[in-house]
Amino acid sequence: MHDEPARRDQRSLSAPGQAPRRPLVAWASVACAGCAFAAVLAGWLAGGVTVDVPWAPTLGLRLDLALDGLGALYALLATGIGVAVFAYGTAYLPWHLEHEGRSAREGYRFWAWMVLFMAAMVGLACARDLVLLFVFFDLTAVASYFLIGFDRERREARGAALMALLVTGVSAVALLIGAVLLYGEYGTFSLPELFERARPGSTTTVAGALIAVAALAKSAQVPLHFWLPRAMEAPTPVSAYLHSAAMVAAGVLVLGRVHPLLALSEAVLDGLLVVGLASIAVGGVLALAQDELKQILAHSTISQYGYVVALYGIGGAVGAGAAALYVIAHAIAKSALFMTAGAVTVATGETRLSRMGGLARDLPVLAVASAVAAATLAAMPLTLGFFKDELFFAAAREAGPSVQAMAVLAAALTFAYIGRFWLGLFTGRRGAEAHPVPALLVAPVAVLAALAVVGGIVVEPFARLAGDAASVTHATAVSVDPAYHLDARAENVMAVAAWVLGALLLAGGRVRERAVRAVAHAGDVAGPRRVYGILLRGLNRVSDRVHDAEVRDLRMSLAAVMVPGGVFVVLGFLATPTSGAYVVGGLAARDLPIVALLALAVVAALRLTRERGRLGLVLTLSVVGFALAAVYAVAGAPDVALVAVLVETVTTLVFVAVFARLPARRPEAPTRRTRRRRRRNGAAAVVAGVATFATVWATLSRPTALDGDAAEHIRRTPEAHGGDVVTVILADFRGFDTLVEITVLAVAVAGVAALLRHGRQW
Amino acid sequence: MSVVIQVVAPRLLGPALMVALALIVKGYTDVGDGFSAGVIVALAIALRYIALGRERAEHGLPILRHAPAVAAAGLLAALAVGFFPVVLGDPPFTHFPPPGEPVLKIGSLELITAVAFDLGLFLLVTGVLVTLVHQLADLVEEPHS
Repeated sequence: MHDEPARRDQRSLSAPGQAPRRPLVAWASVACAGCAFAAVLAGWLAGGVTVDVPWAPTLGLRLDLALDGLGALYALLATGIGVAVFAYGTAYLPWHLEHEGRSAREGYRFWAWMVLFMAAMVGLACARDLVLLFVFFDLTAVASYFLIGFDRERREARGAALMALLVTGVSAVALLIGAVLLYGEYGTFSLPELFERARPGSTTTVAGALIAVAALAKSAQVPLHFWLPRAMEAPTPVSAYLHSAAMVAAGVLVLGRVHPLLALSEAVLDGLLVVGLASIAVGGVLALAQDELKQILAHSTISQYGYVVALYGIGGAVGAGAAALYVIAHAIAKSALFMTAGAVTVATGETRLSRMGGLARDLPVLAVASAVAAATLAAMPLTLGFFKDELFFAAAREAGPSVQAMAVLAAALTFAYIGRFWLGLFTGRRGAEAHPVPALLVAPVAVLAALAVVGGIVVEPFARLAGDAASVTHATAVSVDPAYHLDARAENVMAVAAWVLGALLLAGGRVRERAVRAVAHAGDVAGPRRVYGILLRGLNRVSDRVHDAEVRDLRMSLAAVMVPGGVFVVLGFLATPTSGAYVVGGLAARDLPIVALLALAVVAALRLTRERGRLGLVLTLSVVGFALAAVYAVAGAPDVALVAVLVETVTTLVFVAVFARLPARRPEAPTRRTRRRRRRNGAAAVVAGVATFATVWATLSRPTALDGDAAEHIRRTPEAHGGDVVTVILADFRGFDTLVEITVLAVAVAGVAALLRHGRQW
Repeated sequence: MSVVIQVVAPRLLGPALMVALALIVKGYTDVGDGFSAGVIVALAIALRYIALGRERAEHGLPILRHAPAVAAAGLLAALAVGFFPVVLGDPPFTHFPPPGEPVLKIGSLELITAVAFDLGLFLLVTGVLVTLVHQLADLVEEPHS
């Protein structure tokens, strides 16, 4: 973002007014979003749709998707805002690619990830199973990584993408841990079943807190908020989508989905309230301190989702209803504002508020539309936003006077920063010159603004949707009915107080600037982003050390597995009784071939330690392998013998082929270092060998177990229409394992291609 | 490189394919499975590379360049066989026909979905190993650095 203006000057761009050719895939994405929106809307109006496929019943894993009120709300947002943002993107992306000096064809990647993100978001909205929730949660994180890092040539974009992935992805693990804790206690991952079975207690509290941590990181709440401002490196449509209605909304969606569990613990709810209020304050104050347009909006998002989190913390029917309506109003307003920021950047080539102004004359439609969006965020009457604050104030009143005071302050902050944003852009002294912009950069903003006004006049459809969603969150039917009341009730007084206070803040000019700068500076010096940096650098250093110690030297990497393995095995043997565990059996005449073959293997293994040449080493090693394969054949395991022979042949061939390329080895005089290394290698080999020997001997000393799985497999093989137990196990009984293993094989070959030939498979 | 290898190695491909086919056909009732069959085919092709060199080995058998596609097709086939039952409401890897029902046999080849899975495995292993041989041959013959 930092060098955009400069680069723009160097590359005299074609006038942004000329609409470049738009690829089909962009419009296909818009159509896809539109169809999804229509389908979700139809599903919701039809009273919901449920899909429940138990795909791994023994593990309690189900594909349990329900388009209930909450699912409908977030799915409608993801697809509806998706239509607007995708349409905007068809005009914005060609400009962006040209601006970055990239080929227009790279747009394909963008649209693929955007559509995947939308699909993941819809899936997340409908998931009613904790594991499924986790999977979709991480899918959104992965897609967001590629979207935020779309300008992969830029270092800042890559760093921002990694930060978003690490902060939200690592915290998502907390969600999984919480899910496993609940599964351990109540024996199910299914949320409806958990709501029935869960009782207040320490497990529920800890699991709830862990899930909340994951959700809060995703929604960019203090102190894990710092990834969101960095993520503004993304192209504007990504910000307008991910950072208003989708990715950050995923966090509060999870809160809304698991709320009946969270509500079992006062501590978790109080924690949510505190985090939410802190985020409102931090995000709001920092939004006042920013100069970059998208930074203002990013901090505003932190603050706005703070409202929602605080409302979930307040809980109850009022809190749940207010939170649901808040999410709708905010998503509409914020995506419109992000798109406004992108449009004025296209028009002027500037990204900073201080360099722009007076744009209302050049872009009148955009000015009006974004004024409505800003008014929605600032909770002005005649917009949907008014009702979000009305319900918010009502909920705050229930929570007590201190929360009530905080609520007024929060609303005042919102009024101030969004007023500063809009007034700075469209009024005042003229800043950078504005070119006309394509209609498609303005139309989506206007449509969303119109929607906000419609919601401000006819609120019932939105209230019904919010009520349906709140019924899921609160687990009992909730009706949300906001309305205009022309009297001096507390909500109205609080709203007026907030406006007055906000206007004062807005007019406060220099004093305000100085105060918020000081706060922003303090955050830079001692904020959580700095902690992230320190942690990441520390982790990098540790990883480098481990890499140096383990990976640089092949012997070390072998020893790293075998020595600890051997030591633990030996410790295990010391801890368990060994009497009777080691049996020396008799030797019959028919065992002679096996003994001879084993002797061959032993001799070859001993010879191996003295072998100097590379080729000799490989061939001696293969003698060991073939001797053991022959042992299998003699001992009545022809399947294993066949595979062993084949694998041994392949390995030997590959070794010979690769070693033939290596430069000839110079004989080196043994120095103190090589002698020490040899001793070290010897010690590692002895530890590993002794442990393996002890384990194998103990295993073979037991009488062959003819009960258990093996016997069951043998018994059932005829039933599976098979004659060869091994093949039937591979293809049928353990087919799933085989499938995973061959998938690994396919991935491995892709890895080899990446390492050897820059990813070319052939 | 001895003349014997030069002459024999390319001619081993036919017999190897025959053995592989036998292993698959008999796989469900006798020793061997798709994995072994795949490795045998790949070994015969590897021998061809060793005898003729990469250039000539691939020129004479242009079908080799589809190895990555074969691997992908095998993986997809295995996935399809494994997860198709989910569509019908059964757990994954439910094979048809189910236990107790008669099976159509052609000689020792049984027409059951488990054999189709084995076939996918064969294609994947063959494709992956041939691709690896190609990549290693590339590395061995003309090192990049």
